[in-house]
Amino acid sequence: MSIWESLKTAWQSIFANKMRSALTMLGMVIGVCAVVLLVALGQGFQTDMTQTFNDMGASALYVSQSTSKEVTVMRPLTMEDAEALNDRTLAPSISVVSPTRQTRATAQYGNNNASVTVMGVTPTIVEIRNYQVDQGRFITDQDVTARTSVAVLGYQTAQDLFGTESPVGKTLRVSGARFQIVGTLQKMGGIGGDSYVLIPLTTMQSRLTGGDEIQQIAVKAASPDLVDAVITEIASIMRARHYIAPGASDDFQITDMREILASMQTTLATFSIFMGAVGAISLLVGGIGIMNIMLVSVTERTREIGIRKAIGARRRDILIQFLIEAAVISMTGGLIGLGLAVLGASLLGNINMGGATVTPEISATIVIVALAVSIGTGLISGTYPAFRAARLDPIESLRHE
Amino acid sequence: MIELNNVSKIYDIGEVKVNALDGVSFTCEKGEMISIMGHSGSGKSTMMNILGCLDRPTHGSYRLDGHDVARLNDDELAAIRNKKLGFVFQSYNLLPKITAVANVELPLVYAGKNHRREKAMAALKAVSIDKRAYHLPQEMSGGEKQRVAIARALINDPLVILADEPTGNLDTATSQSIMNLFTELNNQGITIIIVTHEEDIAAYTKRTIVVRDGKIVEDKRR
Repeated sequence: MSIWESLKTAWQSIFANKMRSALTMLGMVIGVCAVVLLVALGQGFQTDMTQTFNDMGASALYVSQSTSKEVTVMRPLTMEDAEALNDRTLAPSISVVSPTRQTRATAQYGNNNASVTVMGVTPTIVEIRNYQVDQGRFITDQDVTARTSVAVLGYQTAQDLFGTESPVGKTLRVSGARFQIVGTLQKMGGIGGDSYVLIPLTTMQSRLTGGDEIQQIAVKAASPDLVDAVITEIASIMRARHYIAPGASDDFQITDMREILASMQTTLATFSIFMGAVGAISLLVGGIGIMNIMLVSVTERTREIGIRKAIGARRRDILIQFLIEAAVISMTGGLIGLGLAVLGASLLGNINMGGATVTPEISATIVIVALAVSIGTGLISGTYPAFRAARLDPIESLRHE
Repeated sequence: MIELNNVSKIYDIGEVKVNALDGVSFTCEKGEMISIMGHSGSGKSTMMNILGCLDRPTHGSYRLDGHDVARLNDDELAAIRNKKLGFVFQSYNLLPKITAVANVELPLVYAGKNHRREKAMAALKAVSIDKRAYHLPQEMSGGEKQRVAIARALINDPLVILADEPTGNLDTATSQSIMNLFTELNNQGITIIIVTHEEDIAAYTKRTIVVRDGKIVEDKRR
C-alpha cells in the first residue's frame, strides 16, 4: 500500500469521525498556537527592547558619579569635566560629549498640570538619543551660552498640557519659572516614555537647581571599535581632573549600555525559552490526547483491522495506516494552531502592552519548528496504538463485535 | 492444488489442551465445489481458518498451490490471502464507511495494482450488483452486501473462494440466489469451498466433507 493510499485512507477515517477528530485536533491546535504565540511575543519583546535601547543611546558610554561605598572623597561631575572630555587632543577617540542633569518637576500651562522629567541638555544630546523635532526647533548652542529660558516638549507632555493646541510660542511654568516653548518632539515610544521637558543645561543650573554640577556625561566613540580606547581616555582624564592618587578607586563610573542591553537580552531569551516550555507542555498534553484517541480508535476498529488483514493487509500496512492517521490529525491541528497564532499575533500587535507596543514576530523558523513538532508529536503518540493495531490477530479481530 | 496432510491444531487454554483439529487430510483439485459440514465445535471453523491462511497448523502440512503454508511468516501469509484466496463471511465484513466499489477495490490496494475502479466495477457487474456500486453497505440488503463481498473475493482472481456460512444471515430466497451465484461461478471454473451446517446449502455442492470432533468422518461426492 503506497503512502498516497495511506493518506487517503487516513483522511477517510478522519472525516468519518468528524467530531472525535476535531476534539483530538483541539489539543494540538491549542498547543501549537500557544508555543508559536509565546515565542513570537518573546521575540517581539526582545526586538522592541533593543530598539528602545538604541533610541535611548545604547551605543554611548555614560559617565556618572561612583556609587561605590569605598570611595571616601567624592567630587561631583562638572561642566569643566565635560569640556575636558571634549578636548580632541586629550581624547582623540571621542566624537560626542553630552552632559545632562535632570530633575522631577510639575509643568503647568493654564489649568493643566503634568508631572514631568525636566532635563538640562546641550544640543549634542540629539546625537546620543534619536530625538526628532516635530514642531519648531531644538535647543541651540546659543541657548546654552545665553542661558535662555526656552523649552522643548516631549510628545506626551505636549499632548497632556496642550492637547490639540500648538505649544510652540506658548509660555510654560516649571517649578514657578517661566519657559518659552520653542519646539516639540516626535513620539519615541518604548520604555523611555515621552513625558519630559528639555531645557538648556545652563538655564537649568541657574534657574532650577543651582550649582554647576551635572549628573551624567554621555560620550560617543568616533567609531564602534574605539570604545575600549574611549574608556581608557575617560578614565585618565577624569582621574587627573579629580586628583585621584594612583591605586585609589575612581570616584566616577563608566556605564556601557551595550553590556546592560546584552544582559537584558539574555534575560529575555531565557524568558522566551520558559514561554516555549509552557507551550511545549500543552503540546505534550495534546500528544497524550492523540494517543488516547488512537487507542480508542484501534479498539473500536478491531473488526476493520481484521477485515483488512484477511484480504491481504500486512502488519506494516496497518502500522503505517494508523501512524499516518495520527500524523495527519496532529499536523492538521498544528496548521490550524499556526493560523490562529498568526491571527492572534496580528491582533496583539495593535495592543499597547504596559506603555510599549510589542509586535509579535512569527519567524520562518518558528513556523517550521511548530509544524515539524506537531507532525513529530503525532508520530510519537501514534506509535504505540499503531503497533497494537498491527499486532492484532486476524481471527480474533474478525470475531470482534 | 489444496493439500492438507495429517493436519492438527491444538489450542493451549491454560492447563487444558483442545484438539480442534486431529489429523485431518484431504485434497481439493482446481474447479471443485466443496462443502464442509459440521456442528458448532466440530472443528470446521478451525479448518476454515487454516485453509484461509489466517492460522497455521500445529502439526502436519498444508500445501496451497505448491507453498508450504506452515512455514510462512505473517506477512507472507497476508500476501497469500491477498493474491490466492477470496473470503466470503456470514456477516459480510464490508468496511461500513466506504462505498461498495471502494470495498471491492481494497484487495487491489494491498496488492498494489492499478486500474482499480474499472476492475472493481467489472467484478461488481459479474455478480450483478454494479448498480449499487456507490452505495454504502448500510444502504444495502443482506443479499446485496453478500454479492459485494463475493465481488471483493473475486477481484484478485483467487485460486479458491472460501465462504464461511455465506447464507447464515439470509432468508431462503436470497440464500438460493447466492448459492446459484456460487454454482454459476463454479461453472466458470472457480474453485469454491463453503463451510455450512445446513444440509440444503451443502446440497448445492458436488462434494461434502463432514467434520466431527476435529476429524473428517465422511467425504462423499454426488
